[in-house]
Amino acid sequence: MEKTIVQFILENIFLFLPIGMTGVVATIILLFLPKQQTTQKFKDVEPEYVTVLKMRCNIYTLVYLFIWIAIIIIGLASSFFVPTLVGAVIAAIPLVVSILLEQRTSKSKGS
Amino acid sequence: MSFIEIHQNFGENTQLLAPFIAVIAIAWMFLVFYSYKKYGTKMTLVYFLPIIIATLIIESAGVAGGRYYYSGYIFYLSVVGGAVPLIIILAWSVNLFLFMNLGKYCISKVYQKQNSLQIVFISFAAGVFGVCLDALEDPIAHYNNWWIWEESLTGIKFFNVPILNFIGWFVLIFFMSIATLLIERSKFSENRKILLSISSLAITGAVIFVVQGLIVKFFEFVGLS
Repeated sequence: MEKTIVQFILENIFLFLPIGMTGVVATIILLFLPKQQTTQKFKDVEPEYVTVLKMRCNIYTLVYLFIWIAIIIIGLASSFFVPTLVGAVIAAIPLVVSILLEQRTSKSKGS
Repeated sequence: MSFIEIHQNFGENTQLLAPFIAVIAIAWMFLVFYSYKKYGTKMTLVYFLPIIIATLIIESAGVAGGRYYYSGYIFYLSVVGGAVPLIIILAWSVNLFLFMNLGKYCISKVYQKQNSLQIVFISFAAGVFGVCLDALEDPIAHYNNWWIWEESLTGIKFFNVPILNFIGWFVLIFFMSIATLLIERSKFSENRKILLSISSLAITGAVIFVVQGLIVKFFEFVGLS
């Protein structure tokens, strides 16, 4: 009978527990070890932008668009039409959100 | 059973596996190269290495538990008894880096304060975006036998994919994003960030384990799984 990953880990707890404990101890040591090097302040880096079909979008949206289109093509080429089209609509949500947010920001900067 | 397995039956029992592998390989190479150019080698390790280790263990446990399996690939890795294709592990690192940065991009447009709440919002957005793409990818993968869910699995399914799979995607991406963002924004040196990102997997893994376990129990309790 198949097991969930949680059930599998519970059944093999003597394998996972020592690894987990080692990780927890190492994390605590790393968190509280005195800092020997200069600390670095986090700087959020803006992604690069590209213009596709007169729409300005960032590099991550473009990669997502590439994967989205490629998977849809594969789905349609497999003659698996309805699930592909339903999935395509759901998977378009991140694209729509990021493009709309970009356009909103561009407009507010322009005005 | 060895850690690395090389099979010679590429594409056996599958459809259009080569294009899928090509898409993942292109996306992975592009994002790793972009991360290396933009953030440097050490931060690229922080972004990609922990999720590779985490998903290697999780996917291997999933296969060893008999819920699903992969056939037709060439390179497999096995750590806890289940063989997982290398490309699947790389795909997970694409997922985390891509969705975390998409989440960061979207949330920073509506909530600029760089605090803990922003990290939660970004991680939530990353998890939701991950589930959105998986709603497209997983049914096609199942149909084309890129990975095969056991037919005996019960509960709610979305085009033959168990609903718990999507919850698992959300939980994994959400907590891995939180851990990655906390480490990224910490004041430690980059060397220590690499070590922390790997060692803290034990804590992130335990949290994912408990949350996923509770969700599975809840689904069993209400008869949805």
